Amino acid sequence: MADIEMEIDGKVVSAKVGEMLIKVTDREGVSVPRFCYHKKLSVAASCRMCLVDVEGAPKPQPACSTPVAQGMKVHTQNDKAKASQKAVMEFLLINHPLDCPICDQGGECELQDVAVEYGSDVSHFSEGKRIVSDSDIGALIQTDMTRCIHCTRCVRFGLEIAGMMEMGGTGRGEHLKIEPFLREGIQSELSGNMIDVCPVGALTSKPFRYELRSWQMNSIPSIARHDLVGSNLFVQTYKGKVKRIASADNDWINETWISDRDRFSYEGLTHKNRLLKPQIKVQGQWKQVSWKVALDYAVKGLNSHVLKHKKANQLGGLVSSTATMEELYLLKKILTEVGCDNIDHRLNIKNLDNIITLDSNIKLDALEKIDYALIVGANIRLEQPMINHRLRKATKKGADIDVLNVMEFDFNYPLNAENITAPNKIASTLAGVLKSIMTNNVQELPNYLATIEVDEVANNIAVKLLNSSSSVIILGEHIINNEDASAIANLATIIAQSTNSKTLNLSITANTIAANLVGFVPQNSGMDVNTMLASEMRGFILLDIYPQHDFHHLETVVKAFTPDDTFVISLNSFKDDIITGYSDVILPIASVYETSGTQFNVNNDMQSYTAAVKAPDEVKPAWKILKVMADLLELPGFHYADSTQVLAEISHQPHTKHTHDGHINFTNKHNGIGVIWQNSPYSIDAVLRHSSTLQKTKIGQMNSACMNQASAEILGLSNNDKYLGVPVVITDTVADDCVFINTNHAINIQEQA
Amino acid sequence: MISTGAKKQIDAWIAKYPKDRQSSAVMQALKIVQAENGNRLNADTIQAVADYLNMPGIAAQEVATFYENYNHKKVGKYVIRFCHNISCMLNGADDLIAHLENKLGVKTDEVTSDGLISVKKVECLGACVGAPMFQINDDYFENLTIDKIDKIVDNLK
Repeated sequence: MADIEMEIDGKVVSAKVGEMLIKVTDREGVSVPRFCYHKKLSVAASCRMCLVDVEGAPKPQPACSTPVAQGMKVHTQNDKAKASQKAVMEFLLINHPLDCPICDQGGECELQDVAVEYGSDVSHFSEGKRIVSDSDIGALIQTDMTRCIHCTRCVRFGLEIAGMMEMGGTGRGEHLKIEPFLREGIQSELSGNMIDVCPVGALTSKPFRYELRSWQMNSIPSIARHDLVGSNLFVQTYKGKVKRIASADNDWINETWISDRDRFSYEGLTHKNRLLKPQIKVQGQWKQVSWKVALDYAVKGLNSHVLKHKKANQLGGLVSSTATMEELYLLKKILTEVGCDNIDHRLNIKNLDNIITLDSNIKLDALEKIDYALIVGANIRLEQPMINHRLRKATKKGADIDVLNVMEFDFNYPLNAENITAPNKIASTLAGVLKSIMTNNVQELPNYLATIEVDEVANNIAVKLLNSSSSVIILGEHIINNEDASAIANLATIIAQSTNSKTLNLSITANTIAANLVGFVPQNSGMDVNTMLASEMRGFILLDIYPQHDFHHLETVVKAFTPDDTFVISLNSFKDDIITGYSDVILPIASVYETSGTQFNVNNDMQSYTAAVKAPDEVKPAWKILKVMADLLELPGFHYADSTQVLAEISHQPHTKHTHDGHINFTNKHNGIGVIWQNSPYSIDAVLRHSSTLQKTKIGQMNSACMNQASAEILGLSNNDKYLGVPVVITDTVADDCVFINTNHAINIQEQA
Repeated sequence: MISTGAKKQIDAWIAKYPKDRQSSAVMQALKIVQAENGNRLNADTIQAVADYLNMPGIAAQEVATFYENYNHKKVGKYVIRFCHNISCMLNGADDLIAHLENKLGVKTDEVTSDGLISVKKVECLGACVGAPMFQINDDYFENLTIDKIDKIVDNLK
C-alpha cells in the first residue's frame, strides 16, 4: 500500500492508504479516547467515543473505522471533536454506577481515565439508572455487569481470539446485556484475557476481588514459566506478595495475550503446603534447623556417604523441567567438579534409548503464516495454548491443519482431517507419508520403507505436504513414551527435509530447552535417570522433584531413593509426604516470581527475569543454595554475587547440541494396549497443582482414563471402574488399543503386564 | 429435540443461502422450532437450533432475545403483540394497553387464567399508518380504539 500524506491537528504525517485513522493517531502519539476499539480485535465502532472532526465531512467521524486518504485534515481537539466526545461520554455514563470506590478496576479504568478528561461534572440525565443482574461465569472472572458499557470487546475476544464465542449481547435497547449462554460459565483456556480487554470494572479477576486498590501494587515485568512460550507478563505485588498477574505486550512472543495457566498460577505461592524452613532427618526424626546447620549437614552427608569413599560415580543429580537455566548450570557444575557424570532431566521417559530428537526450527510469528500443519500426538490447545493461538490465526488465513492423534480433542479451529490412530500405528502412518513423498519425488526407497503400505490417510498428508509452500510438522507430548518415539521423530525430520517443511517439537515443555543447552544429560559414561534408579546409589541431589507427578513408576523411584545408605538432598518448594519419606535434608527453594533466572522458549529467545518478590520466611533461591553448597564443598569457581554472573559464565560455554542419528528402526510388531499418560494442563508443575482457583475450573478437574468399548472389554473395565486409580471414561473418540489418561492426581503407572 | 419435519423445513431455508452460511437461517429455524414446542423457546431448544446450524449457542440466544416474536415464557393460544413504539405511543397506545390489561385481568407478559390470551408489548411492527395497532398471532389489527379492542378480544374464543 502506498504512502500518503495527511494532517492531524495541523501536523503533517504519513500513513498508508486504507489504514484506519486511529492507527495513525496512535502511532503519532495523538491521544484519541476509545472503548470498543482494541488493536488486536475487529473494529466494532459501537461506542462512538473516538469521534473526531474530519474536514469536509458533515458529521464527526469515528477514528477507529475511518480509513485515511491523501490530503485528509483531521482535528482531534477542536470544538466540534471535543463537543462530540463530551456528549458521547455523558451518554456512556448515564447507566454507569458511581461505585468506583469499591470497584477493582478503580485506578486502572479506561472509563475513569477518559471521564477525567472528557466528562462533564453534571449530567442531563436525572432518571433512574438501570441495574443488571450478574451471573456466575466461573471461578476465574468476576462479573459486575451493571458497570458494562457494551463495548463488546469480550464478545469479540471470544469469537476472534479464543475461538469460542462464549459471551454475547442478549436482549435489545435498554435491556441489552452482555452474558454467556446457559450459565455454564466460561471454559476457554485464554478466558482471563477478557479481564485485560474489559475497559471498565465489569469483568475483573475473581481471585483478586477486593484484595487491593490497583495503585497500591508494584508492577514488575517477568516471564511465564509453564509452557514453551515464556509469555511476557507483569507481576503485581504488594508488601512482598504476588497479588495479580497481567499480560505484557510482545508481538514476537505472546502478542498481548496470556493463558489462564500463566495468569492464575501465582495463587500456589501462598499455599499452606509451602516449605518454609530447612529440615534435616536425624535418626529418623525430622528437625527444623537453621540454614547453616542444614547445609553443613547436607555437605557432611555428601562427604561421608559419597565423596570420602571416592564414590562420586554413585551420586546422581535430577532436576524438573521448571528449573531455571542458572540452577541447571550450577547443579551440573557442582556434580562435574566432584567427579559425578550422572545427571538427567528426562524424568518421565520409560526407555531412554528411544527418545525424540527433533529440532524446533520455526518461530512463533512464522507459525501464523504457514499454509499447512500436521500435528502428531498433541492436545495442543490445552498443552501449549499460545502456540495453538498462532495456528488458529493461520487457519483464519486459510491454512489447513491435519491431526494424527490417538484421541479426538477439542480444537478451536476447523481441521482438514482429524485422523485417530492407535499409538502403535503412528510410525507406520508416517512411514507411509514418507514413502508416498519419495515415490512422488522418484527417489530410491530405503529398506525400512519396502514393506510399508501407503494408506489413504498417509497419502492425503503426503499430498498436502508436497503442495504446500510453508508447512510445519508438530510433534507432541503423547509421543514421548510411544514404542516408536525415536523413529517417529526421525521420520518427521526426514519428511520435513524432503518437503521443505519446518518442525516443531512440543514433546517437551517449560525450560527443557535450557536443560538441553546446558547439557543436563549424562556426561561421558555417566548414568541416565533410569539406570540410576536401577543401580545402587549412595547419594542424590534432587531439584524440585515430586516423584508421584514427575515419574510414572513411583515405586521404583521411591525404592531407589529410600535405602538408609543413600543420602538424599531435596530442594523443593512444597511439602510432600513422599519426599519426607526418602530425603535426608530438605531445603526450601524459591518458586516462580521469587527467584531471578533465565528461560528459553521455542523461539530460542533467552529471557531473563529478576525476582518480583522475596521468597517467604526462610526460603532461598535455589541458585544461591547451590552456590553456598559448592563453597562448603570447597569447590573452586563459585564466586557469584548474583545470578547474572552465572548467566554470563554460561554464555561463554559451548552449547551442547544433540546429534541426530537419523536411524530408523521400528518393528511395528508390538501389540496390546498402549497407555498414554499425562498430567492435566493445570497439574504439570508444583505451583500449578497448588493454585486453588485453577484447580476448580473444568480444565483443572480433568481426570479421566479414556478408552473405547473394545479396549475396555479387553481390560475388563466398565464406566464406573478406575484404571490405575483414574476414573474410566468409555468413549468412541479414542483409537483402538489405546488408553489415554489425563489426570490431576498423583498416579503410579507401573509397567503394564 | 428438533423433529424430522421441522428439520426438513429448516433445510429448505438453509438451501436459500450460500453454502456454509447455514446460520443465516437462524430466525426461521427458531420460529419453526418454537412452533412445535408449545409456542415458546428455552435454553435447550435454542441450543438445539444452534447445534443444527453449527453456530455458537450464545449467537442463537442473541437473536432469540433481540426479536420479540420469540417467546421465552408460557404464552396463551392467542398472543396479542401490542406495539408501543413511537407512532402508536403518540396515538394513545399506552392507555389502550392499560385498558387491555384491565379487561383481561393480566399484566404484560402474563397469560389469562384460562390459558387463552397473553399480552406482550413490542417494538414497531411496521404498520405506523394504522397506529395504534397490535398483532394477534399472524394477523394485524389497526386504528384501534377501546370499543374495537373489546370487540376483537371478545371474539377470541
